[in-house]
Amino acid sequence: MSAVLQVSDLRKSFGGITAVDGVSFEVRDGEILGIIGPNGSGKSTLFNCVLGQLSPNSGEVRVDGKVTTGMRPCDINRLGVSRTFQLLQVFPQLSVRDNLILAGQEHQGSMYSRLIGRADAGLGDAADQMIEFFRLSHLSGEQAGSLSYGQQKLLDAAMAFMAGPRLVLLDEPAGGVNLTMLGLLRERLQAYHAEHKATFVVIEHQMEFVMALCTRVLVLAEGRLIADGMPADIRRNPAVIAAYLGHGMANA
Amino acid sequence: MNRLGAVLIVIVALCAVGLPFFLKPFGVYLISMWVVLTIAAIGLNLTLGYAGQVSLAQGAFVGIGAYAAALLMQAGWPYPAAFVSAGLLCFAVGWILGYPALRVQHHYLAFVTLAFTTLVFLVLRNEEWLTHGIYGIGSIARPTLFGWSTNNPRAFYFFSLGMLTLLAAGTWWMLRSPWGRAFVALRENSVRALSLGLDTRRYTLMAFAIGSMLGGLSGALYAPLVQFIEPNSFALGLSFNLLLMVIVGGSGKFFGPFLGALIAVLLPEWMRIAEGYYLITYAALIMVMMAFCPYGVLGMVERALKAAAVRRDPPMPAVHGEATGS
Amino acid sequence: MRVPMASFIQLLVSGLATGAIYALIAVGFTLLWQTSQTINFAQGEFVMLPAFFILAAMNFGAPFWLAALVGIVLSVLVLGVVFKLIIVDPMLKHGVLPLVISTIALSLFLKEAAKDFYSSQAQPFPTLVPAVDLHIFDAVISTDSLAVLAVAVATVVALHLLLHKTRLGRSMQATAQNPTLARILGIPVRRMVLYTFLINGVLVAIASILISPIYLAKFTNGETLGMTAFLAAIIGGFNQVRGAILGGVILGILDNLSAAYISSQYRGAFPLLILIAVILLRPQGLLGRIEERTV
Repeated sequence: MSAVLQVSDLRKSFGGITAVDGVSFEVRDGEILGIIGPNGSGKSTLFNCVLGQLSPNSGEVRVDGKVTTGMRPCDINRLGVSRTFQLLQVFPQLSVRDNLILAGQEHQGSMYSRLIGRADAGLGDAADQMIEFFRLSHLSGEQAGSLSYGQQKLLDAAMAFMAGPRLVLLDEPAGGVNLTMLGLLRERLQAYHAEHKATFVVIEHQMEFVMALCTRVLVLAEGRLIADGMPADIRRNPAVIAAYLGHGMANA
Repeated sequence: MNRLGAVLIVIVALCAVGLPFFLKPFGVYLISMWVVLTIAAIGLNLTLGYAGQVSLAQGAFVGIGAYAAALLMQAGWPYPAAFVSAGLLCFAVGWILGYPALRVQHHYLAFVTLAFTTLVFLVLRNEEWLTHGIYGIGSIARPTLFGWSTNNPRAFYFFSLGMLTLLAAGTWWMLRSPWGRAFVALRENSVRALSLGLDTRRYTLMAFAIGSMLGGLSGALYAPLVQFIEPNSFALGLSFNLLLMVIVGGSGKFFGPFLGALIAVLLPEWMRIAEGYYLITYAALIMVMMAFCPYGVLGMVERALKAAAVRRDPPMPAVHGEATGS
Repeated sequence: MRVPMASFIQLLVSGLATGAIYALIAVGFTLLWQTSQTINFAQGEFVMLPAFFILAAMNFGAPFWLAALVGIVLSVLVLGVVFKLIIVDPMLKHGVLPLVISTIALSLFLKEAAKDFYSSQAQPFPTLVPAVDLHIFDAVISTDSLAVLAVAVATVVALHLLLHKTRLGRSMQATAQNPTLARILGIPVRRMVLYTFLINGVLVAIASILISPIYLAKFTNGETLGMTAFLAAIIGGFNQVRGAILGGVILGILDNLSAAYISSQYRGAFPLLILIAVILLRPQGLLGRIEERTV
């Protein structure tokens, strides 16, 4: 299995605070990697550096062997890396269907061909299929802003998948979602993963969700990687328990 | 577009076509001015309302377009060529201006366009060999197209109304395409848009360049309308005025500029009573509007209609056991 | 054209004096932007206005020093407190754009107000000290230039001390750099933000007192002064107070030098060209840091 994502010795500080302190890891093709760690351990900063939202102070990120450090988020996305957001960021004024078309349109042709081509950039059917897959069919024409929180979470995930990405980074997908919706979300993510052989990286606080979904887990604490292994082993790892006890275990 | 909207548009279109026959020449001049300024406002609406950037140079682009058209016609160019050239020139200038300015955040474009407007004014005023400086350019002829002269006020009005319709239709078509969706994304949440592969810089630059081009085209119509142009008409005041038109009408709404331009053209006439206090009242009204309804008149209308619709059909409570979330 | 040393020194002194005034205006502008995301397009008019407060007070018979005090107090109250409470706070919840538009409208409002309610004619304004020509080396330097320089520099130094050496100042800086963190640390963020508005009120009033003798009190002063503030802030570095100071000084010196050596027709163009150069080559400004947005 080849490495879809390689992070080498990534470092990021803000002023005097070092958020990510020399983190290196690989993500192999087809796996679902979970990244956990107490608050302030640098998970979100790590994500943002990988996705081009922030520029790391040093270190390198490679996607499929290609160096992506310093590239803009839109260019990284076009290489096949997409993400979901911890704080919901759908486009509230557009309909659910339009949100999905938007999510895929920038991957169709060039900017100029899109001006002349079809209004839905040829993605109408794909959008409908995605809506169907995420059980949102009854809401297709509704404004995204009027959906419930859990439904918006599903839409967020759907948007990340629209362009058929190689690698999806999910930022706290389970946050603030009730148990029923959580089950549906996890089940849909697993279904997508099985069907498309995509590779996921998931940041999450909720242990249950991580343990049930992920094939491998990394643990970050204070900007450093302190453990890397199967979910069951991680649970028993004394260093991990110590790191969490210092900050309070969450749903362990 | 709902039925009410469609009916309104038909009514307005009928008025637009029928009015000139009931108005005196000055009235026809006023509505011609409305048409010409609407084109510039549509351009600014693209930059501001759709791409979310403040431009204080739209007046300067109107000026560049006006001078370009006037000078080219004096050099013997046929009007259509002058018209198109004015537009292309402003597109290019807009692109060159915006390219560096939009690489940075922080509304730098606002300051760059502010500086640009001042620079343009200085050039227009000082380069007498080209622009005749403060003496301006006079006797600008109204074009004759396909054998029809637009010298008559009414004829010119219909000509510019035709241009407005064409340009507005073009803009409408652009906004219906994936570009329109991209602009909305850009304005609402550019971080999210970036993460979806949307090149926000390119789209913003494009919006600004097209907006500036429309400003130039407006200028190319302004010159033959007023038939005498001088640098002062295109100083910061015009840019402010256009900005306020877009805001008051409803920024980001397609028909906002039409309404805003109408208000701006008619307001001085209505406020003749206020005499010298017209500007200060206008400015005060803008501030009040920004505090209570930054969405402009059309924005207010939209909200009122939505509120009325909600009162008629209250939404059903969620049925699928969704959480209220955190 | 060879420059006699004497004239050069004169120009330098007056350039530094003007530069120091520009620095005050630019610093106030930068502070507002840093702490509360307020881009105050009316900053130029904020400098234009206090002069009229002072002239009005003098018309009521107050001596200059008292009128100046009244001017500063009114400036702090109106351009600081009222501005924040009535314009900035209600707008900010709608986002940055409505606030930008409002300050643009405000600049027009204040300009017209000065024209309508005071006068459209340029008004002479008293200097700080009676103008006496001093002969230093071969140069003729006026005492009021020196006084302006002294007051402006003193204000900048005082501001620097306030921001870096006092607890209050450090709290304000923390608020500017990271309001959420500041709140967690127990800093009363809203009060800190109010203080920056008050400080801006003081800065613009002092700048007004210093510059009105030279420019005369005119309702159109705001346009050029505002433009200079923006240019100085951007050239120096949008997110750095030190940058604003540097930018202001550079512009002041340039202003005076170009008045002497460049045709008056294009005099105003020089700073604008520098702006474009800065945006092209070093958009974060001379002293600025490149900022990033996190999600």
